[in-house]
Amino acid sequence: MSTAGFKDYAQHFAESRAAVVSLAVSLAFVACAIFAPLLSPTDPYDLTQLQLSDALKPTGSTRMLPGEEVRANIRIDGSATSVQPATPAKTHVTLVAEPCGLNCLGVGVQPEGTRLANLQIRNLPAGATVEGARKHPVQSWWTVDNPEGGKVRIASNGPLPATFTFLAIARSMDQETDFVFHLGTDSFGRDMFSAILYGVRISVFVGLVAAGAAMVIGTGLGLLSAWRGGITDAIIMRAVDFMLGLPALLVGLAILAILGNGVSKVVLAIVIVQWSYYARTARSFAMSELGKEYVEAARCLRLSPARIMLRHVLPNCMPQIIVLFTLNIASAISLESSLSFLGVGLPLTRPSLGMLIASGYEFIFSHKYWISIYPGIVLLVMIVAMNLLGDRLRDLNNPRLDR
Amino acid sequence: MNETIFEARDLSRSFSVGSSPLRDFADHFLRDRPPKVLRAVDNVSLSLREGETLGIVGESGCGKSTLARMIAGILPASSGERRFRDEPYESFLARNRDALKVQMVFQDPLSSLNPRLRVGDIIGEAAVLHGLVRRPQIKDYVADILSQVGLPADSMGRYPHQFSGGQRQRIGIARALAVKPDMLICDEAVAALDVSVQAQIINLLMDIKQDSGLAMIFISHDLGVIRHLCDRVAVMYLGRVVELTETEQLFASPLHPYTRMLLEGMPKISLQRRRFMPIQGEIPSPLSPPSGCHFHPRCPMATEHCGRIRPELREASSGHVHACLNIEPC
Repeated sequence: MSTAGFKDYAQHFAESRAAVVSLAVSLAFVACAIFAPLLSPTDPYDLTQLQLSDALKPTGSTRMLPGEEVRANIRIDGSATSVQPATPAKTHVTLVAEPCGLNCLGVGVQPEGTRLANLQIRNLPAGATVEGARKHPVQSWWTVDNPEGGKVRIASNGPLPATFTFLAIARSMDQETDFVFHLGTDSFGRDMFSAILYGVRISVFVGLVAAGAAMVIGTGLGLLSAWRGGITDAIIMRAVDFMLGLPALLVGLAILAILGNGVSKVVLAIVIVQWSYYARTARSFAMSELGKEYVEAARCLRLSPARIMLRHVLPNCMPQIIVLFTLNIASAISLESSLSFLGVGLPLTRPSLGMLIASGYEFIFSHKYWISIYPGIVLLVMIVAMNLLGDRLRDLNNPRLDR
Repeated sequence: MNETIFEARDLSRSFSVGSSPLRDFADHFLRDRPPKVLRAVDNVSLSLREGETLGIVGESGCGKSTLARMIAGILPASSGERRFRDEPYESFLARNRDALKVQMVFQDPLSSLNPRLRVGDIIGEAAVLHGLVRRPQIKDYVADILSQVGLPADSMGRYPHQFSGGQRQRIGIARALAVKPDMLICDEAVAALDVSVQAQIINLLMDIKQDSGLAMIFISHDLGVIRHLCDRVAVMYLGRVVELTETEQLFASPLHPYTRMLLEGMPKISLQRRRFMPIQGEIPSPLSPPSGCHFHPRCPMATEHCGRIRPELREASSGHVHACLNIEPC
């Protein structure tokens, strides 16, 4: 198409404001899909970051860091103190010790101001006590509940030994952070906003790849059918009739029931469902193009049939096929979401929008609406936008609607 | 000059109507009914000499275009024989590069050009693919062909819809000329154009013919154009040739009653008031043509045996053949 033709086309397209908006929304979703890792505040696929304490938090609540237990062996050697953490994993809170005057040693935690549930000191040398602590009835364990400022003091009437070692165990309370779950969390404690962004990414990816593969396969078969005619045509078109006679969702369910779940299998299922639309459309448009004189001219110029089909007939069928492609992306996305909603589509660890809606479904009667509603709204907007876009393209290609 | 470039013998083409493999099967076994067959071209024999222009004239639906496509090798024949320079078409068409020697210009100047290709590609594609010209030289080559048909060289970057009807027909002619044919078939090449443009295109075709000595088959329903352009004329009626002779002979002394009535229907400049005598009746359906001579239901000279006997072509004088039972051999 020439530049002038394209400009004309764009102008026609822009006459419908709904179409422009839907184009913008569709492009925005594609951008979301591409840049999801940059846009999303958390990575919903990283299971180690999930905390059960964050599960089912409503919209706008903040993330809580759960309380942890930190142990460290603290060794005093003259004026030097050394802290050896005894907890294997990395923790937010670390223990520190510093002298606090004569015969006095302070033990506290970093960062400053962390609220502790309690702090326990074990294995102190004889004569030393911990201020404000209760002692274990048998062992020499000293526990301070809710220590002020997160610090305890070890004091002794006489001088402390020059060298000694003790064990400190701090239990911190749940900490509030300034990270806000703008759209709440789901039952695994995933941030819904991030999950939706990644869900859009998966849905758009599945929609584009599946509809694209179906377009290539279906168009190829349609062209073959139109070109060969006869028995080839009959076989392909009866297969198309057969596929169109079955409900798409049922076929998808059956295929995934056999193959198991996973992104590639969902794509395969959608391709199997959708190729027939392209085959039928491509065949009918190719047949009408084949009847035109320029095809006869190409045959008179003794061009090969493959060249005639691919270079002469196919480009003239492409506008209609692209319209179908736009409409079928939307239906591929909704089919994928339906399959995921029914639990046969994508794995739970990589949720698509349909899977998110499904996972919120069990909580919707306990007023935890946000898990299902927000992905639902996003899916709705995305599909409506793409359908409006496809409708507009179809109208532009229909000369009967042209004034 | 008198060598034959193309010859057709008993060429026929029939189409089965409304058929599908399934229906054929059902008809064959269940209903015992012969499939409906349309004989578009029925035992046509004609020949074309090197450098000659043969006109084929007839009403709409008489099989002119089907015949043209069979001669061009686009449609296979149902029966009969086609020969190009004494070689049967089957082997001739199998060699792609030789088969380029027969080219065709189509009726509809818009639908005969691919709307998605630039004019340069439309004209140059086949020449490059068949190795007539190398890709780096294609621009000069196309520009040369374009100037032959009277179009500016910058047309090659444009699309067919940016041209007028006459210019498009020139592009169609350029496309055919670009592969250096020896024989050109023009299927109603000027019918879709208005009269002044028709004249330009006809002059162009005559120039080309004079320059390159192309043999040409010119198909039209316009007797004026045929008379202007052709050396010999074949008159077709319902798939059969009814008369074939030199142009002057045909216009001076037509023999077949159909030809005579066609010529009487031609508009003439005359001071006298004329009454047109239209040919009575409609052209019969080719699905169930009349028996015997196809023309007998509309023929003023028809006798009783016209409906029974199928007339064969017979020679009235040297090179003048007709298919009428009621003309006495002279």
